[in-house]
Formats: sequence, C-alpha cells, structure tokens
Amino acid sequence: MNKTVTFISLLLVSVLIITVQSTLLSPRNAGYLLPDLNLIFIVFLAVYSETKGSFLLAAGNGYMMDVLSGNLPGTFTISRLSAYMLVRTSSNHVYLRKALVLGLVIFLSTIFTWTFILTIIRIKSDAGFQFSFGDIILQGLVNSVVGVPLFWAAGRIHARFQK
Amino acid sequence: MGFFKRRTILIVLVLFFIAIQLFSLDLRERNSQNPLSKFVLDITYYPQMAVSAVTDGVIGTWRDYIHLVNVNEENKRLREELNALRKEKFESAEIKAQNARLKKLLDFKDVSLYPVVSANVIGASPSIIRSQVVIVDKGSADGVTEGMPVASYDGIVGRILLAGDKSSEVLLITDPVSAVDAYIHRTRARGIVKGVGSGCVMEYIENKSDVSVGDKVISSGKDGFFPKGVIIGTVIDISPDGSFISAGVSPHVDLNSLEEVVIIQKSVNNVVLNE
Repeated sequence: MNKTVTFISLLLVSVLIITVQSTLLSPRNAGYLLPDLNLIFIVFLAVYSETKGSFLLAAGNGYMMDVLSGNLPGTFTISRLSAYMLVRTSSNHVYLRKALVLGLVIFLSTIFTWTFILTIIRIKSDAGFQFSFGDIILQGLVNSVVGVPLFWAAGRIHARFQK
Repeated sequence: MGFFKRRTILIVLVLFFIAIQLFSLDLRERNSQNPLSKFVLDITYYPQMAVSAVTDGVIGTWRDYIHLVNVNEENKRLREELNALRKEKFESAEIKAQNARLKKLLDFKDVSLYPVVSANVIGASPSIIRSQVVIVDKGSADGVTEGMPVASYDGIVGRILLAGDKSSEVLLITDPVSAVDAYIHRTRARGIVKGVGSGCVMEYIENKSDVSVGDKVISSGKDGFFPKGVIIGTVIDISPDGSFISAGVSPHVDLNSLEEVVIIQKSVNNVVLNE
C-alpha cells in the first residue's frame, strides 16, 4: 500500500479516535474508568507502523489532546511522544505480538505517560488536579484489557493494508 | 540500560524538561492566538457534530424501540399502539422540555445587558486531568472570542477558553483553574469562587462576614469577565480557613447535563485567566 495513503488513513483514524474520546468516551460524560484510545493508538503506532510519519502522528495526536482538553500545549504532546519513542525502542528487543506482553506494554505506557504528566503538575502547579497514582493503575488496567483485543483487530486490518 | 537506547533516554529527559518549561507558561500565554490550536478545533467540529447527532438519534431510537423489541405476538397490536403512544409522549415531553429551556434562554436574552449567542454542547474534554471543559458549536464566525462568559438560564457555566471558527472550548466554573469574583447575595460578603472538580469553593471571605448554609452566591462583575448579579450557586458548607472563611458552593447549573448554553458577548478588555 502506498505510504502516503497509509499515512492519510492513520491520520483519519487519529481524528476519529480523538472525536470518540471527546464525545462518547469523554471522562465528563462517562466517568473515569474509560479506555484511553488515544494512548492505545500511539502504542499501536510504535509497535506496528512502519510509516515514517508515525512519529508525527503520535505528536499530532498528543497535540489534539492538549487542545481539546484545554491544557497547556506540550503536556500531552511531549508525554505521548516520549511514550512512543520508548515503546518504539523496546519493540526491537521484545516480542510484542504476544497478548500478555502487549497488555504489559500498554499498561506500562499508561503508567509512564501519566506519571510524566503528574510529575510536571506536582512540580509546577498547585492547581488542585485531583488524580492519584491509584487512578493511574486503574487506567492502565482498563487500557490493557481494552487495548489487547483492539490491537489484535487493528493489527489484522493493518497487515491487510500493508500487503 | 541496554533495553532502551541511551539516545532515546536522553531525548525523553530533554522532552521532560521542555514539558516542565511549557507547563510554567501562564494561561495568558496559552495557545489562544495559535492558529494550529484553532485548526484542531475546526477539524474536530464536523466529526463531533456527526457523533453528537448520531448519539442523539441512537439514544432516541433506543428509548423508543429497542426496549420494546422482545414483545410477544399475543400483544403485538396493543404494544405497537403503546409504542406509538410512548413515542409520541416521549417526543412531546422532549419538545415541551426543550421549549421550556429555550423559552428560559430567550428570557435570559431579553434581560441580558449584552448580546448573547445560543450554543449547543457537542463534546467534552478527552482528558482525565482536565475534565471540566466542554465544547460548544459556536465559534469566532458567530462573534465568539476568548474570555467571553458562558451561562445558562440557571446561572453561570464558565467562560470561553479557546474559540475556533465554528466551535469553542468552555472552561467550566468547576475547573481548578477557574475563578469568579463573587458576593454572598444576602450579606454582600465578597470572595472568590474557585473550581474543585466536583463543585466549587468560595475562598477569601472575611472572617467577620455573615455567611450561612443556603445563601445564594452571585457574581460581583469585578473580575472583568462575568456580568454582575448572575447566580453561581448555593453555599452548602462553611469552614474557617486561616484568617478567612471558606464556603463550599454547589453550582446552580447542573454542569453534568449541559445541553444548551448562552455565550454572553461581553468584550473582555482585561483578560486575566487565573491559575
């Protein structure tokens, strides 16, 4: 499949995911224990995508999170970009096709990004964001449970398109 | 440390320090004039509108039909009749409720000193750390600009954080960075209403002030954002806070089920977003 078409397809998926995350799966509408599709997508890009632009997509996805959640620019962009880079590097060393390993990678990516964000908030702000480490663990578990089957389905679709 | 490349670790560390610096920027320097941020709002406007319309349609269909699918044949005709009646009743109740809301909004328009724009909530924050942000379907094309106050017929909702061409972000009064200069309606005791996520708290009320549970809290108009005298909420508890009094405030508007709001087109000359 043409690399440009793959990139545009992933870009559209990215916009679709952020739309779902800001409407149907918004923490405002549906509570806290929801999958972070945006993060799962970034891990997917890091593990599967051979497209060079996937780095830009990961950054763009984080930026859209920044804008739509009214955050300062950079919080999500940088944390998600960092997660992308770490998963990308580790994917050279770990066999990421196994469900259990994938679940663990998604879980650890969640812990990493939220710890990254929480650390910045704690260092630089006393704005009273109510979010604990327990919430992060729960979010990580939810992401893993939802992410593994999503990866399986998305991996098959992606492989078909890559042919 | 062979698991991750040393270069990757280094880049992540550099990114971390860049993130800290970016987070230090005051909200005043936020991306309000950043065309890229407005572009993100614009490209997500149509998908959000579509999801919003589909969701409304699906919920309507679910309510009207799906729970009546498993009916037995014996009562089919009666159930169809009942279904039609329920649908009609539901629709009329919805229309009635919507009429009442819109009428109140129109009344609000009539009494407001400033021109207002009605808007529908089409989305909300995708993030857990700042969930007190909603997205409405009016933007700069409708005369909306950053800092404009947002209300409903029940009282203050928040203010415009970022205005795209067709949609805008509204920072709700329950957000931890929101602050409204306010009075206790009964005694005119002054304080600052801040968001705490699940509700609000009125801080910096002088110790000698007369404040009681049940008192109404209204905007003072002195913060340059909100018009004077709009209701914010009701005092639900009071506690001493050093040399001041702190009062828990339950917002008058049910912010969890916001559907329609009005954006008050009050020019904000002195935009100071509190952090």
